[in-house]
Amino acid sequence: MKVTFPHMGNAWIVIQALFETLNVDVAVPPPTSKGTLNLGTKLAPESSCLPLKINLGNYIEAAAKGADTIAITGGIGPCRFGYYGELERQILRDAGYSYEVVILEPPDGSLWGLAKRIRYLAGRHNSWTKILKAIRFAYRKSVALDRVEDLIHAARPRLAEPLAAEKLYSKAKQHLIEASEDKGLEEAVFWVQQSIKECQAPLRGEKPLRVGVVGEIYTILDPFSSLDVEQQLGNLGVEVNRSIYLSSWVGQHVFQGLAQGYHPLRDYPRLAKPYLPHFVGGHGQETVGAAVQFAREGADGIIQLLPLGCMPEIVASSVLPRIQADYRIPIMTLTVDEHSGRAGVQTRLEAFVDLLERRRIRTLTREDVLNVARE
Amino acid sequence: MKVGYPRAVHYYDYFPFWAGFFRGLDLELITSPLTNRQVLEQGLKKASDETCLPIKLLVGHIQALSGMGVDALFLPRMVSVEEKTYLCPKLLGLPESVFASVPEGMGVLTLDFNMRQGKRRVIRTLEEFAEGLGKTGAEARQGFLLAQNWQEHYESRRHEGRSFGESMGEFDPRLAGEAGRTIRFDNPDRDESAAVLTVALVGHPYLTQDNYANLNLVAKLGERAHVRFIEEMEPQGIEQGLQGLHKSVFWSHARKIMGAGASYIGDEAVDGVIYLSCFGCGTDSMTQDMVARIARQQHKPYMVLTLDEHSGEAGLVTRLEAFLDMTERRVQRESNFSAHG
Repeated sequence: MKVTFPHMGNAWIVIQALFETLNVDVAVPPPTSKGTLNLGTKLAPESSCLPLKINLGNYIEAAAKGADTIAITGGIGPCRFGYYGELERQILRDAGYSYEVVILEPPDGSLWGLAKRIRYLAGRHNSWTKILKAIRFAYRKSVALDRVEDLIHAARPRLAEPLAAEKLYSKAKQHLIEASEDKGLEEAVFWVQQSIKECQAPLRGEKPLRVGVVGEIYTILDPFSSLDVEQQLGNLGVEVNRSIYLSSWVGQHVFQGLAQGYHPLRDYPRLAKPYLPHFVGGHGQETVGAAVQFAREGADGIIQLLPLGCMPEIVASSVLPRIQADYRIPIMTLTVDEHSGRAGVQTRLEAFVDLLERRRIRTLTREDVLNVARE
Repeated sequence: MKVGYPRAVHYYDYFPFWAGFFRGLDLELITSPLTNRQVLEQGLKKASDETCLPIKLLVGHIQALSGMGVDALFLPRMVSVEEKTYLCPKLLGLPESVFASVPEGMGVLTLDFNMRQGKRRVIRTLEEFAEGLGKTGAEARQGFLLAQNWQEHYESRRHEGRSFGESMGEFDPRLAGEAGRTIRFDNPDRDESAAVLTVALVGHPYLTQDNYANLNLVAKLGERAHVRFIEEMEPQGIEQGLQGLHKSVFWSHARKIMGAGASYIGDEAVDGVIYLSCFGCGTDSMTQDMVARIARQQHKPYMVLTLDEHSGEAGLVTRLEAFLDMTERRVQRESNFSAHG
């Protein structure tokens, strides 16, 4: 048995760590690329959402590395992701791939069923204590990754050299991949903090613009799917805050709220209440709640990310204009699919950031106008 | 007090329930007119452009209600109608997601209808709703019983094979009045002997039963074939169709479409299956693919028609004719024509 799983941003680091601690043979799919997406798009239903297409591409590429079992989480709706596992099984079967799909969820609410599936993946040689320990360590790794990612978001607009933050980020990720105990995780985070302090450029005048990124989790966590929106914003001198992190998703979705992750999701439903008092599946309500939170915290703008046709996010996006009006904060919705182009996204981001910059200079003096003209 | 009920989305499934409930409360429930050009145009103008056709039509119907002397609009949040399933996220987001398009001065009455929480909680919610309107809890309980009765009656009528117009007309006087003119499920001019085919039209009832939205597809189909709908399928048939799945489908509608579709495909008496979907439908994107796989395995003629606000009648007719020709030839010659183009 060789296990594989779909990519979602940095999630592979955590999942790989989990399986390797348990001595399970694992094949990490090659990093998602345009080619991956093309492979997936060919097999996936035309109007299915983007993550499904990328998932399928990942599996096909992992099959070339010898993978024969897929581990994926499930759900009971009403977001389409909950049914990915079963649909992907059928698609891969009909396309001639002999994959076994293990959906990690309590089937019909049965925890015993979930335990059996975990046992199936982990094999006989692991005790439950060892399995739980491995899960806990993987979770802590995801928290460390989120902390590093957050630091990088803050670093991008502050470091003098544009690529310095990316270099730092990939080095930090390497440290975290290699870390096999808690001490290593702590050190990696500390190292990133120190490095940022050392090469931080002296602030020129104002603090960087702050933009909250909210929306569908896959497009937020996976830079490939969003065409590096967060990095592009960082390069435009914007500090990005996001509504949802990997560890908070794990905490809520996998541990059912027993752990809260780096940035808890639990406040969002309460904040969303005046605008959307009921959950709508996926993270639709969280998107609305996070938008309210960012608006209250005084962010300069909010960007909602979603894959084309995402049902919960469409509901959220039809509610967001009311938040925009109530809090007088610009909100932009950015929809991505397999046809999205980098230049198109870049143009929209630049226009949005321009708008935010102008808003800062609300009352223009004669000198301001001259300065803008000189620039 | 006159309460308006837009003739859109869950109207096509659950109107008898709400009609019964409001009768129990002794309140008048008025439905919007049948979908027409103006409804669609208003919907396109006022609704979010990224959402699906049914929600756009809903927004259009809400506008249409504003000229009808309605005091308030009734738009329940239908979360779940049975255990273990949900309705579509877009229905869970009602009414908030269409608030922006509700005409000024029109109140919105809403409640969360969630059968997953059990009947007791549902009745409690209905009582609270009734009390908010100055009615008593007893009236609400009475209304709930009547509602269940009416809904069951409607569903059993459909299982018997009666048309949508006829069954729904019992609860919706407007439909009964216009049924002869616009709701033509059985074309009176049709030569019965000419219809050699039986075709199952699977899809959400708000598409299959809204003759404006589906460009009068049912009548056109009816000229050459007997048409079967998913509502005619008894629950056992649906269960049977779902058997090949490793995981149960968690959307009520998709479950019904999937199960009925698979059953029709396996049914010898059905010659072909048409899946009527609309652009941007999330659940259809998955069920449609799974039904297609079953059709391919069993060599049943199968076609997907996707509607949107730009659908043209000519394009639809061409595809329909080609499909029916192909199916007819297969049936008459009993030879092995390819079932999927």
